[in-house]
Amino acid sequence: MKKRILIIEDEKALRETLEDYLREDGFDVKIAMDGEIGMNLIKEEEFDLIVLDIILPKKDGFKILEEVKEDEKRKNIPVIILTNLESVEDIQKAFERGVTNYLVKSDHSLIEVSEKIKKILKI
Amino acid sequence: MKFINDLNLRKQAENLGVKIWQTPGFLFIILGLVAAIIMAATYFISKNYDSPQVLVISESIVATVILAVGSSIINLFEQVARINKMKSEFVSVASHQLRTPISAIKWSAELLLEKYNKGLSKKQISDVKNIFDLVCKMNRLVSDLLDVTRIDQNRMIFRKKKFDFKKIVKETINESSILAEKRNIEVNASFKKEMSLGFGDPDKIKLVVENLLSNAIKYTPSGGKVDIRLFEKDHFFVFEIKDTGVGIPEEQLKRVFEKFFRSDNAARYQTEGTGLGLYIAKNIIEQSGGKIWFNSIEDIGSVFSFSLPCHNGKMAEIMKA
Repeated sequence: MKKRILIIEDEKALRETLEDYLREDGFDVKIAMDGEIGMNLIKEEEFDLIVLDIILPKKDGFKILEEVKEDEKRKNIPVIILTNLESVEDIQKAFERGVTNYLVKSDHSLIEVSEKIKKILKI
Repeated sequence: MKFINDLNLRKQAENLGVKIWQTPGFLFIILGLVAAIIMAATYFISKNYDSPQVLVISESIVATVILAVGSSIINLFEQVARINKMKSEFVSVASHQLRTPISAIKWSAELLLEKYNKGLSKKQISDVKNIFDLVCKMNRLVSDLLDVTRIDQNRMIFRKKKFDFKKIVKETINESSILAEKRNIEVNASFKKEMSLGFGDPDKIKLVVENLLSNAIKYTPSGGKVDIRLFEKDHFFVFEIKDTGVGIPEEQLKRVFEKFFRSDNAARYQTEGTGLGLYIAKNIIEQSGGKIWFNSIEDIGSVFSFSLPCHNGKMAEIMKA
């Protein structure tokens, strides 16, 4: 069974490159270009992991993270935040809300992101 | 104009980005001269006209002039400070805006190289590799600029934790082995088997080691040597890196840790480089409770060293507090 990953990211080029890369690495990848679409997908479908940007149209990443963690059925889905925000406040806020990992986009290559995901999913 | 040079007004004007007559130093001189002239005038007036009104009037003129010149000095300072803040904010905002497109280019090139390289010719692959390498450099430059604005605005945040310093040094040497090989530089390192843990922010310390090592490799002519030593002394680590590189001209030794400084011979030898690495390194090391210093002789080489608290020393206790 392929592991299902949801990417919520509004920047087209970043979303597409990550999507293609993970698909090539053997994941079943779904994408959402804003927070609302992302949240709906989370409710309607099942995912093994969520990759989440913070600044998103319609609903921001922190709000989505909160909703996932408050949902009894979904609170165990690992969430990785992938953003270019890197203030200590944001990082703290994310970990307080139960994020599994916090990655800064410009500090990570695709292979590194993919490896972090595999590590979390124990692949 | 000799006295202008002596008082360094020209330098002050250059540093502040204002005209010489606008520098605080010049305005102070004017203030002094005006005060002296008016005092003298007051003295003569009071001698010739035996009237208290004249004295009072002339004294209030002195006070007004002093106030006027003084307030223009304050205004100028405010203006310079405001411009400085704006500049720093501009760099910060611009760098942040650059990060997303840079990440996107970097990831696209990586995807092409790693997953979609089938059917690409050697030439095409080497072109994409160039794009990838250059965008990585841009990414590094933007990170450096952001670090500098954080340092300048006192916003750089340090994690405080125990970490394996020896491991960081080894990792960095491994990561730069491609660059060293390409430039035909021999990198040697010596460590003791058992070493204490360091205390501070491992990512930031790694950045310092990376900066020092890449400088040593970049500014050493082909066939040269870089020697790294790591040892402990009185609950401090000492990291030392010695190269057989171009060195720093004696008259420029004092400016090595200045922001954007690059020595004349370094700029001639290597066109790349921003002059930010050592400025950032110095700030990181000092904020981590250590010191950074160097010796350098032009055309012979440089030795850069820094100290860093061990986790079991007094300094680490102070830093924890």
